[in-house]
Amino acid sequence: MTGPVGAARPIGAGEPIVRLDDVHKWFGNLHVLKGVDLAMVQRDVVVVVGPSGGGKSTLLRCVSLLEVPTSGRVFFEDRNITDIRTNLNEVRTHIGIVFQAYNLFPHMTTLRNVTLALEKVLGLSDDEAHDRAMEQLARVGMGHKASVYPGQLSGGQQQRVAIARALAMEPKVMLFDEVTSALDPELVGEVLEVMTRLAVEGMTMMVVTHEMGFAREVGTRMLFLDEGRIAEEGEPKEMFYHPQSDRLRQFLAKVL
Amino acid sequence: MAVVEAPTFEPEVAPDVRGPTAPLPATIFALGIAALMVIALGVVVTQVNYALSDRVLTQNCIAEEISPEDNGAIGVCNIIEALEDPLTTGSLYLGMGLGVLALVLGASTYRRMDSKRRRDHAITGAVLGSQAVLLAIVILWFRSATPGLFAKHFLNFADLQGYGGAFVRGAKNTLILAFAGEMGGIVIGLVLGILVLSQRRAVRAPARTYINFFRGTPLIWQLVTGYFLLLFGFGIRLSAFSVAIIVFALNTGAYAAEVFRAGIQSIERGQIEAARSLGMSYFQAMRYAIVPQAVRRVIPPLMNEFVILIKDTALVVVLGLTANEYDIFTTAREGQSATFNATFFTVAAIAYLIVTLPLIRLVNAAEKRLRSGLVGIAGAGG
Repeated sequence: MTGPVGAARPIGAGEPIVRLDDVHKWFGNLHVLKGVDLAMVQRDVVVVVGPSGGGKSTLLRCVSLLEVPTSGRVFFEDRNITDIRTNLNEVRTHIGIVFQAYNLFPHMTTLRNVTLALEKVLGLSDDEAHDRAMEQLARVGMGHKASVYPGQLSGGQQQRVAIARALAMEPKVMLFDEVTSALDPELVGEVLEVMTRLAVEGMTMMVVTHEMGFAREVGTRMLFLDEGRIAEEGEPKEMFYHPQSDRLRQFLAKVL
Repeated sequence: MAVVEAPTFEPEVAPDVRGPTAPLPATIFALGIAALMVIALGVVVTQVNYALSDRVLTQNCIAEEISPEDNGAIGVCNIIEALEDPLTTGSLYLGMGLGVLALVLGASTYRRMDSKRRRDHAITGAVLGSQAVLLAIVILWFRSATPGLFAKHFLNFADLQGYGGAFVRGAKNTLILAFAGEMGGIVIGLVLGILVLSQRRAVRAPARTYINFFRGTPLIWQLVTGYFLLLFGFGIRLSAFSVAIIVFALNTGAYAAEVFRAGIQSIERGQIEAARSLGMSYFQAMRYAIVPQAVRRVIPPLMNEFVILIKDTALVVVLGLTANEYDIFTTAREGQSATFNATFFTVAAIAYLIVTLPLIRLVNAAEKRLRSGLVGIAGAGG
């Protein structure tokens, strides 16, 4: 490995779980990520903020290779997962993702949404999968909706089920991609509360969000992504109160 | 005074905002209905009246080349005579007159109607009136040519006696051909539909070629060539019936592939991403997340393909089926060539309708259900 990358300032200790090394992403002729370096260690809660079109979601999706970087390397623990020989299916079982649009399977009950991958990917028995799923559904306060279809749930409830579905895999990192952006304002709180609890319990998380309050209070580290580059990074409160760059100052003036 | 009213439990009903009708629009509406009724009743009652009474072969009929030796000549003659009967003529002209009246009144007044219901009545009356006029014109036109010749060949049911069982067996065979072909086609179509969505051209290209070939050549050519290709080309001797099922399956597979491809593409990208992010392989994601949803969406178009295939099975008439393998159309063709009476084909059309109409209704109901968004949530069972 080639020494610490970027200006990462680990809050936690030890080896990075996720490390990005000069990641570029092109969509056709659109240069979305222009060389991103990043290292996340255990218990990090990295919040990613910035103007839309700045590459936040692309960055997050590159971590689990849902988008394959055009160049650069992505490491998970010690493994270079941009190596084409990597078994991505196995890597992805350690990286949970929650999407803006929930993406629950609409033809399955809440419970089945959670047990499916436990059985088909992790190979758990029906009983084990059921118990683990119920445990995680209870954890997000959705145990009583186990037999219901996603279409019968509110957005906030669906998103909490989606979190439970990801958690049930017992991932080492959780990625949250603007998970409250599609929610009615009164439903945002219940989802943020679940995420806050996860952070407090020590989950390693990357959170792309427009919720500045959450970013400031829960994040251990903040990235300000602008035009495909990390324009500024640091401790969230510090960045909110003493932004260094003009771009961050302008951005904060608009969103606060 | 504060009177506490007893709570009422009447269900809430949306208010009627169409307003009341008035004598004029109600009359226009009634005229339109009356015009159609007069024509329909006049024609049908006269036909039934003639059919039920004892008649003879009239000079008029003989003039239309219906001879007493023809089987069913009297029945055919009755049709013509009833058509020329003054009661039919009178109802046709009366209905036309009422229709014109409804059309003129409705078209000239509907803009001035001051409530929704009044306008609806005026417009509907005018529409029904114009339909009545059209219907009367078509019947008069038909009558003015040589309806006798047509009736002799296509509406002479006398020769069909004893063919009931043959048609029932024909319907059974038609359904076997179509159903077996559709089932095979669905399997082929699902595989091809997934293949044409591959990222790799090497995988896509053969599937695409197959689809284009079977969509681009006539089914009748596929049937005939398929039979001889199997026999001479590969030395496989199968009954014409089996070959037909194979060809129908291959052909339907090409169309079903397009249906499945569109169905799979219609599933939001987030679904496969969610499945992949949980560690599922591409094929697991397809199998558990994508295809089950796509299948629900493609049920109406696949049923539509089934209805089309039911009719297309008539093409087996070009193959040498044995008598117990005859489908509806071949049964009719055999009857026609034995009697020189094309009424067999009229009956065949009716037989096809008996099979297809319920299915068409089912397709429409399924489409409606899909549009209403019920599919994929309740009753999914997954």
